[in-house]
Amino acid sequence: MRDRHQSSVVSRQFANRALMISVVLSWGVLASAQHQAVVLKGGKLLTVSHGVIDNGALVMEAGKISALGPEASVKIPKNAKVIDAAGMTIYPGLIDSETALGLTEISAEESTNDRIELTDEIMPHMHVYDAFHAESELIPVTRLNGITNAIVAPDSTDTLPGQDSFVQLAGPSAAEMLLVRDIAMPLNFTGEQRRNESWEKRKFPQTRMGMASQLRQAFLDAQDYQQKLAEYEQKKADAARDKKPEPSAPRRDLKLEALLPYLQGKKPVVLAAQGPSDLETAVRLAQEFKLKFVLNHISHSRAVLDYVASLKVPVIVGPIYETPKEYERFDAVYSLPAELYKRGVKIAFASFDAHNSRNLPYQAGFATGFGLPPEEALKATTLNAAEIWGVADQLGSLDVGKSANVVVATGDPLDVKTDVIRVFIAGEEIPMTSRQTRLRDEYSTK
Amino acid sequence: MCRNTTVWKMLLLLTSASLARTGFAQQPATHNNVVIKNAIVMTATHGNLKNGSVYIKDGKIAAVGASVDAPSSATVIDAGGKYLTPGIIDSHSHLALDDDVNEATSPVTPQMMMQDAFDYQDKAIYRALAGGVTTSLLLHGSANMIGGQAVVIKHKYGAGRDAMLFPNAPRSIKFASGENPKRVYGSRHELPSTRMGNFAVQRDALVQAQDYIRSWDEYNAKVKRGDKDATAPKHDLKLEALADVLRGKLLVQIHCYRADEFETEIAMAREFGYHIRAFHHALEAYKVPEKLAAENIGIATFADWWGYKQEAWDAIPWNAVMAMRKGVRVAIKSDSDDFARRLNQEAAKTMRYGGATEEEALKMITLNAAWIIGVDDKVGSIDVGKDADLVLWDGYPLSSAAVPGKVFIDGDVYFDRSLPGYGMPHYTEGQ
Repeated sequence: MRDRHQSSVVSRQFANRALMISVVLSWGVLASAQHQAVVLKGGKLLTVSHGVIDNGALVMEAGKISALGPEASVKIPKNAKVIDAAGMTIYPGLIDSETALGLTEISAEESTNDRIELTDEIMPHMHVYDAFHAESELIPVTRLNGITNAIVAPDSTDTLPGQDSFVQLAGPSAAEMLLVRDIAMPLNFTGEQRRNESWEKRKFPQTRMGMASQLRQAFLDAQDYQQKLAEYEQKKADAARDKKPEPSAPRRDLKLEALLPYLQGKKPVVLAAQGPSDLETAVRLAQEFKLKFVLNHISHSRAVLDYVASLKVPVIVGPIYETPKEYERFDAVYSLPAELYKRGVKIAFASFDAHNSRNLPYQAGFATGFGLPPEEALKATTLNAAEIWGVADQLGSLDVGKSANVVVATGDPLDVKTDVIRVFIAGEEIPMTSRQTRLRDEYSTK
Repeated sequence: MCRNTTVWKMLLLLTSASLARTGFAQQPATHNNVVIKNAIVMTATHGNLKNGSVYIKDGKIAAVGASVDAPSSATVIDAGGKYLTPGIIDSHSHLALDDDVNEATSPVTPQMMMQDAFDYQDKAIYRALAGGVTTSLLLHGSANMIGGQAVVIKHKYGAGRDAMLFPNAPRSIKFASGENPKRVYGSRHELPSTRMGNFAVQRDALVQAQDYIRSWDEYNAKVKRGDKDATAPKHDLKLEALADVLRGKLLVQIHCYRADEFETEIAMAREFGYHIRAFHHALEAYKVPEKLAAENIGIATFADWWGYKQEAWDAIPWNAVMAMRKGVRVAIKSDSDDFARRLNQEAAKTMRYGGATEEEALKMITLNAAWIIGVDDKVGSIDVGKDADLVLWDGYPLSSAAVPGKVFIDGDVYFDRSLPGYGMPHYTEGQ
């Protein structure tokens, strides 16, 4: 029995290895094809940055967009692979501004989830890149719908659950897919971080007072730590100058160390709140420590949207499917993106999901039914997101020099009926297959 | 037939049918007289009528066509070229139950009546109404192999409880299978904790119901023979409900994901002589569509929800259309207060995944859903004689951006987006 079990494990390992090799090989093939220029000819280019070009052409070379414009004006490189895109709509890869991609496989199966460390509320030293599962079956499913990049964030049930990474949804392995590690840090203040499941399990913090005091203490500790490090550097310099023995370094504290870039305003804190009171408490805290921040959710903050606009920070909206409060009109959340846009706030959409990240464009499309102009809705899933995350030099629009993350589809990118035909990530055409298409094909022929 | 039994049966019926009857009686008679003209009428049964009109009389659709004969007294609503569809029907909902969805204290609870938990003031009813939903099947949850009996509601938010119960709707009962029952009871170290346990529990309950029917039949036969010593068996609410399943009086709605479990459920239904109306969720219907079609079993499924648990891991968004093409009657349902607000978008996904036609997609949230509930003779399409449950849309209904402008139930406007506040002509907070 045991032998047989072992041999089956071994053969499974072999099978896995064979699979890995085939994956690597297929990427190798793609990588070599990269040297050949690819041209999308015909089609409507939604550049996002400089309007719509009907009957356009777009050239991709060495992973970048090397030319685009009206078809007649674009020079087609020699030996280029020309793809007829007449009748198609071509737009930049979509960016989902919060997902759990690579941190979960089957929601209800514990062993497949690495979404949050619930042992403490202050966990800024958790890095999602340490858990990001590049081979997740969810990633091909997502990119098949034209989503090429995403923020991967830990779950929101800690006030400081860790740090986000910005990923590309294709690449030879996790190392290449993790475009920016520790790009931002969520700070969640929605009430769901309270440890108040039951009266018996009395664990701090049970209240928002507890949450706020704990956060304040964490940032104060980080300030002290920063001070200690500065003093040490000074002593070290003094010792070197006086040719004295080097002073002993302060003990490294990973938690406090992780907070320093945020305390110094080098990276943004993603401040999540829902209603006005939580929002204002969280903002007061961020301002107290001079944190650079963007807002997240604010689904039930309609009453204070002018205040939100006065903060002059971007907002990650949604999910706009969030249920309104009892006292709110049915469309209180649906119309939030439009209301923020009207007030001049830069917005980006997020799925706040993993399996349903592919439906990101439909949230944006739905918001157009409530007054958000369609071009702004597309921008809120592309260029706005790239700007908010500091990657707009590479992503978010169809512009020469940007990474060739390009989607070819049958129509309006934000409509449910639109079929995505081709997806290019860094100039490489992604195979339009996933676990789901394989199951479809297997049972279609039966 | 023994008088006792008759009385008892009448009492039992009181809990379901008569409530619908009282609802019908107490509901203010709808005397509307309205023409909606200049609409693109999507009938769901006979194509679209461009520049079409619908005449609504006393709560029913009295005429549909390019022009309709209506008295000059009729109120005319000019649709301005907008789309008019049947009201959306949600064939799997748990809204307005105030979390009383599962009586998870026993895996067999057919005597639970969802109408006893129906919270007619729940704003979720309004939010779904604002998404175009006019009828919902409120089901027991899936913790139990045999759950409770459903209630069918119309989303007449603000009209009061009785007016919201769908008049004379057939009775449905919820069965479940798979991960949920085994997790709920298994985590307590109780039966069932496996799929074997699940089906053993179900079979055992059905055997008891057979015994129950037999003991009453024997008793009734004795009484008929004039046996004065005959003693009546105990009246058992639970077994009486199961007996009605075996008598074919309940539509059996089964929560079931996996292809193998469809087959086990079908075998069980054959063994005990009842029919399955629909498999709910049914995310693996695409694997065995012919088997469902052969049994005339419908499915109420998600458009593209997947991966939330092991038995949803093989879900694919082409499921609905692949099953439909093999002859399965398919409905897209919500199973969530969230999805209930945008079932039109969910249905539209079937046009993309598998290429459903516009009318096929529309049917999945109207006529097919009505069939699953057993009310397709009353609602689910724009046809003469049916209830005037209609949605007038801002935008093309099968798209991301469509929003209902007006929702009619029994010919009355229950939601109007252009109105301030909640957008409901018959409801203001605090009434």
